[in-house]
Formats: sequence, C-alpha cells, structure tokens
Amino acid sequence: MLTDKFTLRTESKEGQMIVFVGGEFDLEVATQMRSAMEPLIELADQRLTLNLQDLKYIDSTGIGILISIVKARHARNASFDVEHIPTHIRKLFDMTGITPYLAKAE
Amino acid sequence: MAKESIVTLTVPALPEYVDLVRLTLYGIASKMKFTFEDIEDMKVAVSEACNNAVLHAYGGAEGKIEIQFASYDEELAITVRDYGRSFTASENKETPSLHGKSINEIQSGGLGLYLMQALMDRVDVQNDGGTAVTLTKKRMKSEETA
Repeated sequence: MLTDKFTLRTESKEGQMIVFVGGEFDLEVATQMRSAMEPLIELADQRLTLNLQDLKYIDSTGIGILISIVKARHARNASFDVEHIPTHIRKLFDMTGITPYLAKAE
Repeated sequence: MAKESIVTLTVPALPEYVDLVRLTLYGIASKMKFTFEDIEDMKVAVSEACNNAVLHAYGGAEGKIEIQFASYDEELAITVRDYGRSFTASENKETPSLHGKSINEIQSGGLGLYLMQALMDRVDVQNDGGTAVTLTKKRMKSEETA
C-alpha cells in the first residue's frame, strides 16, 4: 500500500459546483483545501457539492473543514451537499455526528 | 506470558510525516492479521494522536514524535510520545461529538480525542516531560473472524 495522494478537482456547470476530493484528506493538506474552498463558499447562488467517491482517508482535521463549510454555507443560506461517501468514511461521519449536516448523505 | 515485539519509529513533528506513521501501522497490523476495518480504525486513531503532537507539543518549534508499536499475541499497543509542552485535560476537553447539536452549536475542533476513544479499545494519556498517548486494540481470535 502506498500513500494515496490528496487530489482536488472542481467542475462547474449551470449553477452547480462539484468538488471531487480524493486520496488522503488530512492535516497535511488542510491549508490547500481551505484556500481552494474559500472562493467557492462565497458563491451563494450556486449549488455546492462535494463528491467523495475517491476519498481514501479523512481525519478530524478534514472533518473539521467539512463542518466549517457546513456552517459557512448555512450562514449564507446556500446549499451544501456531500455525495458518494465511501463506507469506512461514512462510519467516521456517523461516529462524530456530522452525517445529518451533509444533506445528500441521508 | 505473551510474547512482545516492538517496532519504534521516530519522525519530525510535522504534518507531512503522519502518513509515514500510517504506512508503518498498516504493515504491522497486516502482519498481525487484523481485519481491514480494525486497521482503518487504528489508522485514524494513531493519526489523531500524531496530529495532536504536531499541532500542540512544540508550539511551532522543531521537535520529534516517537511511535512505538508493541505487538502481543492478542493486541497491538501503539504509544505516540512527544517531548514538548504537555497539554492539560481541560485544554483538550472539547465537544465530545456533534450528536444532538444544532448547526450553530457545532464546532470544527476537538474531535480528535473523541475519535481515538471511539475507535480503540483503550486510550491512556500520560503527561511527564511531554505527552504519551497509548492506544490499544485487541485482535479478534481467528475463530471469531471465521
């Protein structure tokens, strides 16, 4: 097993921004993720979705960043969804209690 | 008595070395035949202990983290030790989890210790010239996994 490098890619179309987050989302990439998300968070008239299908690992730093996005979008009355959550990551979301705030996670 | 094998790893207290600790853990836990799910749990818990050392132990100065993997017949005990400023229980005692909280009450910090306790069988913290966190996970016997 090699380290799964963090990857970030954004697709924008017709009022929707989908951010694909892959690899290891941890303390090491926290600054990169925060600065990538900052401008997107401000676009309140766009739907914002995180696609986690290629996410291999997340720690409490990554979960903390998701929480700050939830709060920032809520404060702007803007949408935020998280989709395609891998099973072992979903377990951590359930454990910490963040799942109900990630709309599409059901 | 149970046979003990020890592997020790020392890394700089920097974010980019935490994945190296995860890789080492993966190798040792696989050798011990832990399940995939248990290995994933331990990866998160050990990383949280390392994150705490990286973020809080040395206040921005250089430092190191020592990780000791002690494997026994039926359990793995991982000790993450730094030689920096010990953070007291009150500093580290934040929101246990987000369950039952409103969106305005939820905080983005303080989940690390909660996750360690939720994912491991035992978490011991010692403050003595630094912080040593020992995380223990029991391995299910093969007849239970079969």
